[in-house]
Amino acid sequence: MRLYIHWPFCVSRCAYCDFNSRVASRELHALYHHALITEIENRSRCIGEERRDLGSLYLGGGTPSIMKGEEVARFLEEVFRYFRRGPGTEVTVEVNPADWCAGDFIQAREGGVNRFSMGVQSLSDDVLAFLGRRHSANQAVEAMRSALASGADVSADLLCALPAAGRLSASDSLSDVLDLGPHHISLYGLTLEKSTPLAKRVELGEVALPGEDEAADEYLALVSTLGERGYEQYEISNFSRPGYESRHNLAYWSREEYLGVGAGAHSLIAERRFSNRSSVLQYIENIKSGGSTLESYEVLNLSERESEEIMLGLRTTAGVREELVGHSVDGLEALGLIVRRLGRIRLTPSGMLVSNTIIAGLLPDVDSLRCA
Amino acid sequence: MDRNNIRNFCIIAHIDHGKSTLADRFLEITHTVPSQKMANQYLDRMELERERGITIKAQAVRMHYSLGEGEEYRLNLIDTPGHVDFSYEVSRSLVACEGAILLVDASQGIEAQTVGNAYLALEGGLTIIPVVNKIDLPAADFEDTAMELADLLGVDSGDVLAVSAKTGEGVEDLLRAVVQEIPPPSGDPELPLRALVFDSTYDVYKGVIAFVRVKEGLVSQGMKALFMATGVKSEINEVGYFSPDMISCQDLEAGDVGYISTGIKDVSRIKVGDTITDQKRQAADLLPGYQEPKPMVFAGVYPIEADDFADLGDALDKLKLSDSALTYNRENSRALGFGFRCGFLGLLHMEIVQERLDREYGLQLVVTSPTVVYEVETRDAEVVFVRNPSDMPDAAALKEVREPYVQATILVPPDYMGNILELVKERRGVYQEMVYLSGRRVEIRCKLPLAEIVVDFYDQLKSRSRGYASLDYEHIGFLPGNLVKLDILINGEPVDAFSAIVDRNHAHDYGKKISQRLRQLIPRQLFDVPVQAAIGGRVVARETIKAKRKDVLSKCYGGDVTRKKKLLEKQKEGKRRMKMVGKVEIPQEAFISALRATREETPK
Ligand SMILES: Nc1nc2c(ncn2[C@@H]2O[C@H](COP(=O)(O)OP(=O)(O)O)[C@@H](O)[C@H]2O)c(=O)[nH]1
Ligand code: SF4
Repeated sequence: MRLYIHWPFCVSRCAYCDFNSRVASRELHALYHHALITEIENRSRCIGEERRDLGSLYLGGGTPSIMKGEEVARFLEEVFRYFRRGPGTEVTVEVNPADWCAGDFIQAREGGVNRFSMGVQSLSDDVLAFLGRRHSANQAVEAMRSALASGADVSADLLCALPAAGRLSASDSLSDVLDLGPHHISLYGLTLEKSTPLAKRVELGEVALPGEDEAADEYLALVSTLGERGYEQYEISNFSRPGYESRHNLAYWSREEYLGVGAGAHSLIAERRFSNRSSVLQYIENIKSGGSTLESYEVLNLSERESEEIMLGLRTTAGVREELVGHSVDGLEALGLIVRRLGRIRLTPSGMLVSNTIIAGLLPDVDSLRCA
Repeated sequence: MDRNNIRNFCIIAHIDHGKSTLADRFLEITHTVPSQKMANQYLDRMELERERGITIKAQAVRMHYSLGEGEEYRLNLIDTPGHVDFSYEVSRSLVACEGAILLVDASQGIEAQTVGNAYLALEGGLTIIPVVNKIDLPAADFEDTAMELADLLGVDSGDVLAVSAKTGEGVEDLLRAVVQEIPPPSGDPELPLRALVFDSTYDVYKGVIAFVRVKEGLVSQGMKALFMATGVKSEINEVGYFSPDMISCQDLEAGDVGYISTGIKDVSRIKVGDTITDQKRQAADLLPGYQEPKPMVFAGVYPIEADDFADLGDALDKLKLSDSALTYNRENSRALGFGFRCGFLGLLHMEIVQERLDREYGLQLVVTSPTVVYEVETRDAEVVFVRNPSDMPDAAALKEVREPYVQATILVPPDYMGNILELVKERRGVYQEMVYLSGRRVEIRCKLPLAEIVVDFYDQLKSRSRGYASLDYEHIGFLPGNLVKLDILINGEPVDAFSAIVDRNHAHDYGKKISQRLRQLIPRQLFDVPVQAAIGGRVVARETIKAKRKDVLSKCYGGDVTRKKKLLEKQKEGKRRMKMVGKVEIPQEAFISALRATREETPK
């Protein structure tokens, strides 16, 4: 079983962000913290004994590193009362480089965290300022070093497809980050989300995002740099040194069960997908009153499961079983967008770049993708 | 009523010269419509006409007018269209009248189409009352306009009446002139019935409604009627007239104008121009009918939603009833699915039909670029008519391609003559002669390929003469041209909707424009897609739609798969609605936008 815990608070909002997060008072943090533990307790009771053994735990956000390393450790201690940690359990915390010093990493590590996911995004101060990040490049490097020094596995998030000036620095940032020796890299293309400050600036013509071709070329170049430096791609946006793939992350693509707790968290358990209310206040209210926190709930039938398998599996380099796909893929293969091997098909890096188009074409024709 | 007290007349006027306004005044003065209730331009019944300020359908309104000592007159005002596309409708309306008011705007002077229609009326033996309108305008030039009218009709300029349809000045005098100068209808009411169908419309309850001019005999309710040309037999359910609403009556006598309804629902069975007679007491001969209107401009009309195909067919059936010039045949386009190849009198006619289909029948349509009909002679001496460029035989099999030409008359102030002569040349026109009508106007006569006119000739004419030039034309048959079929190929597959027959010298420009436009409109595919314009096997223009490079969701937050699923579901759904041209997926909207834009600049 895998557990995702959502911490929906940030110190300030980044210019491009539309995640479920908000700036809130310490009081609200405390109320939420309390509600979280209540939900974890409730869920652990009715989920079935065997599901209480944790394969992985992921504390994400928002910015969970608003809590100090020691608070995280105490928080996890509470969680582990309801879900059992084993020697192989992967425990990840997302950390904003502005928040923690060496001691925090060590304390978190002592509390059971064995993987840090660092929100580096870039190692150019200009780009960081443009993105509205709270930290500088130096802080990011420092934080990376401390995280690595704690002995945990470390992943760095980086952004690409940045506006003109930032584009040059994306490859520099990547090399610089790789020089620090992280175990894992997540590389995300900057996307414009409606009504974010960045989207407004683009609308006003103050900044222009790169065109399709530029962004594609950049991604392919970054992917090949990663490969040369020994980071293997295992999913569209994820790369790692051999053996350091995020198991929690992989679980999403291979449709393993996971339980998400907290505002807006999603779960897949016993072929049911469900999610919590994304409003923090409502979530707290519902937990307090013992009401339902559910926002969506969907039972997946066989064809939906198969569609999901294709749609999620093709994001990974493991790909999917060829027999699952009812369409001919000869054309895609000839275009160099997919590779067939040992009865499986997977996307090449160029194919991954157009994965939406490819997947939409390969899904079964029936209306099997109805979502709740 | 005594036939001697009936007057049947129409108003010939160019668009905007004030025909509807004048008709309104008539309706008021005769108390047919109380003035406070006067809906503007009552004769223009169709909403669409009202908006465009043009009258498509001829209709008749009955008015009562007393002149002096209680002498009662019945005035039947028959409406006529003003646009050159509809000159055949004018000719139909004229047959129902004994006289016509020739109305000219004092600030504009005579327009070419008015001259054309005036000649039609003269040929038909109608009495013409020349009238200058809008004399209230400061820019009115009554003297000059009256001179032009007098010259045209060969009368004294002192006989030209002056009115303001707006203020009503001179309108009473005009009505008096109508009564005094236009002869009453002749025709024996004792003879077997002969009534001419000069227009028709459709009513959901009453079925087909035919507007008739009774020439001889009498048509009455309950009569068993025979439509002589078609042989259709039917009982007459209702007889009546418009005044301005539908009023039913016992009968209509020789000399009168009104409507009949038969309950016939099948729109194709009643033909405008047919003669109605009594089954029991049949007339020997048909009245001289009208010439069948010949559509000269053709375009494919397709429903945007394939499911609407049947509805489109029904709608065309119904439109045809009130618009006998419209023709249509089923066709099938690769790009657009099932639709109809429709024939129109001209571009305006085409637009009106399209708008009526949209407005009255709620149909969303794609209309391909209009083309004319080509007369094609093949090497084995066969002659075929090509209404759809994609039906053009192979270049190798062609001996000669002939296109329809018109004899055009353009009236233009001398200052703009040079511009217009240039336009005529650009459009492959053959200049013939030039006549100075007055100091204000020159008449240019030339031959032009109809294909040039169906595009934007009219707009060009107006813009190059600051709106002063006017055009009239008549068809003079087919003449050989240097014409080739241009195909547009997407990824090597020809797309019929974009094929065109063009002058060889313009093929490259046209091909380039279309391929560029398609390159912009067709979304990128997973591979490079060439768009080519080709004559036979020879490519004359080429563009490439570069392969799609990036379409990816880079992140899924905390296992939120639903968001991604929704997106892909939408994408899948969109894919299903795509039209496939070979391996290329093209959203129908791309075709539609390309066609819309292309319409403006179909080949020269
Ligand atoms: N000043 C003035 N305007 C007029 C007169 N007659 C018509 N109009 C205006 O000219 C325009 C066209 O008139 P309308 O009757 O619609 O023309 P139609 O297209 O021939 O039916 C309208 O704006 C009328 O108000 C007139 O005698 N004097
Ligand atoms: S830290 Fe992360 S969640 Fe918070 S505003 Fe920035 S991008 Fe959004």
